Amino acid sequence: MREKLNLQPKNDALYLPEEARIVKAKNFTEKEKFFEVEITSGRSLGHMPGQFVQVFIPGIGEAPISISSAPAKHNRFDMCVRAVGEVTNKIHTMKEGDSLLFRGPFGHGFDDKILSRMEGKHLILIIGGLGYAPLRSLINKIVPDRAKYKKITLLYGCKTPADRLYTDEIAELYKIGANVEVLETVDRGDTNWKHNVGVITTLIPKVEFNPEETLAFIVGPPIMYKFVLKSLLEKKMPTANIFIDLERRMRCGVGKCGHCQMEGIYVCQEGPVFNYAEVEKNEEVL
Amino acid sequence: MSTNVIISKENLLQGLDKALADYKLAALTEKEGKVLYDYVDNSKAIKLDYQPTVLSPKKFFFPQHETILEYTSDGKSKAKIEAKPTLLFGLRPCDLNGLKILNEAFADDNGDPNYLAKLEKALVIGIDCCKICDKNAFCFKVKSHYARGGYDVMLYELDDKYLIETASDKGQAFVDKYFKTEKPKGTEKADFDKKKEASFGKEKPFDKLEQFPELFEQNKKHPIWDKEGARCLSCGSCIMVCPTCYCFDIEDNLDLNLKGGKRVRKWDACMLNCFATVAGGENFRHSATARLHHRINRKFDYLMKKHGQAVCVGCGRCVRACLADISPKTIAENINGEKK
Repeated sequence: MREKLNLQPKNDALYLPEEARIVKAKNFTEKEKFFEVEITSGRSLGHMPGQFVQVFIPGIGEAPISISSAPAKHNRFDMCVRAVGEVTNKIHTMKEGDSLLFRGPFGHGFDDKILSRMEGKHLILIIGGLGYAPLRSLINKIVPDRAKYKKITLLYGCKTPADRLYTDEIAELYKIGANVEVLETVDRGDTNWKHNVGVITTLIPKVEFNPEETLAFIVGPPIMYKFVLKSLLEKKMPTANIFIDLERRMRCGVGKCGHCQMEGIYVCQEGPVFNYAEVEKNEEVL
Repeated sequence: MSTNVIISKENLLQGLDKALADYKLAALTEKEGKVLYDYVDNSKAIKLDYQPTVLSPKKFFFPQHETILEYTSDGKSKAKIEAKPTLLFGLRPCDLNGLKILNEAFADDNGDPNYLAKLEKALVIGIDCCKICDKNAFCFKVKSHYARGGYDVMLYELDDKYLIETASDKGQAFVDKYFKTEKPKGTEKADFDKKKEASFGKEKPFDKLEQFPELFEQNKKHPIWDKEGARCLSCGSCIMVCPTCYCFDIEDNLDLNLKGGKRVRKWDACMLNCFATVAGGENFRHSATARLHHRINRKFDYLMKKHGQAVCVGCGRCVRACLADISPKTIAENINGEKK
């Protein structure tokens, strides 16, 4: 017997990158740099919030980078890159006008089903450090549409005030008032710091919410998730109301190479955005 | 699809020699005293009696190193997909099941162009086993001593001749073109089955094999994980020799003149400490026990659900390669309670 194989999805360009040009580059912090890139072919990236691309530097390699801008019709997208490995250190040396290569978008982000579940709800975005980069793709989509939601609360925690990203945009969020609430914290403040000092979970008791009518979105360093989840579950938030956006090692981006697997789940295919209720029994999530 | 004809050993080898005009032929052969699957120039180099090999024939479709992309310094890159007509001869049921699983994995959504190009140009001829190859093989424990797929033509050995069964149009066309065959008497398959039964008949599969995904799911904390994990050296040998491990890494090789380079896919191993480590330093599977649990669960839980058969094919290669005597068989027997 010969197995039936579906050879149709065969894509000769599966590992072939395409070109993009940096149209804006700006240092955010010592380690994080912002890039706006334009896809040379003129196509729109066509992503959903929470997806990622694989940025390729010939001679060095590929690294998975979150898409930091909201879905758009034009051919540009944003990334905020932390210089932490060989590829990202090289990306940091690049400036406006330089070209880079990328593949994507990959993964499963905040899809239409999640977006429609969000309508009429109180949304709490709980972000640690560089987690702002991926979640900005959602923030910049929902904030202009804020009338659709009961309330948007943004909790943002960083190590120090100097580590905050997208500070200009956060300043604008504070000004909106009405149903947009911003609370920030840092592990170590400085003399100018007027907000909270402490880990991100210290902000949760400051937010009033009805757990049944609230959806929470968590993105941050790996250590953050279990503590934030514990706080939310103590507040009786149903696990189905919690979404997590995870980091994993990724090489192929197309569900083959195995690096991103959490038990049977390929994070690059089914994630990096997950409804917590669907993965809470998976022991490799946290 | 199944036409049964008979071929003598002599005609079989002659047919393979004839096919050399159109195919690269890979078969079981001997090199420097070692038995292995390799390309051969003529049928005289082929070993018809099976002996376990270190590496599985997956290397012909999914090589240890494979260039998937080439680029030049002006930023132009092009996909590199290479495939030559290849005849894989003499693969045994364990490896055919392994190939079937890899075929399904690479033809999944996001079909892998490099693997599938090779698969499309290949013709696979299997030889069914009628004896257990050594004490480490446990194909019968996972019902993998019968091939469920992965081949175009199957041969059943009968004294000085073979019964030929074709499994695909491609296989039928090959047999028609290259093999000089005879009509069967009609009793050959039964004769072969009798021979196979004599060797394998008393061997039983794992208790509850079909329920392994649920069973492994329920036994994440079974003491066998720590017991075996504590001995694991995290060397990754089990993965290199496994016919169904297909994790890979992609590395960049810059030309010495810095004018271009290539991206090379190479085998990677989830048993290595760094496998799940991200650039920031976080290792999402930091203990050998967790890595062993992951690898074995890919075989008996996560991927078994997807492929509808145990993804460990019981070839015994990892058992022979393991320096710490860790065996999927022992682990499975502990999980399902066959061994206390």
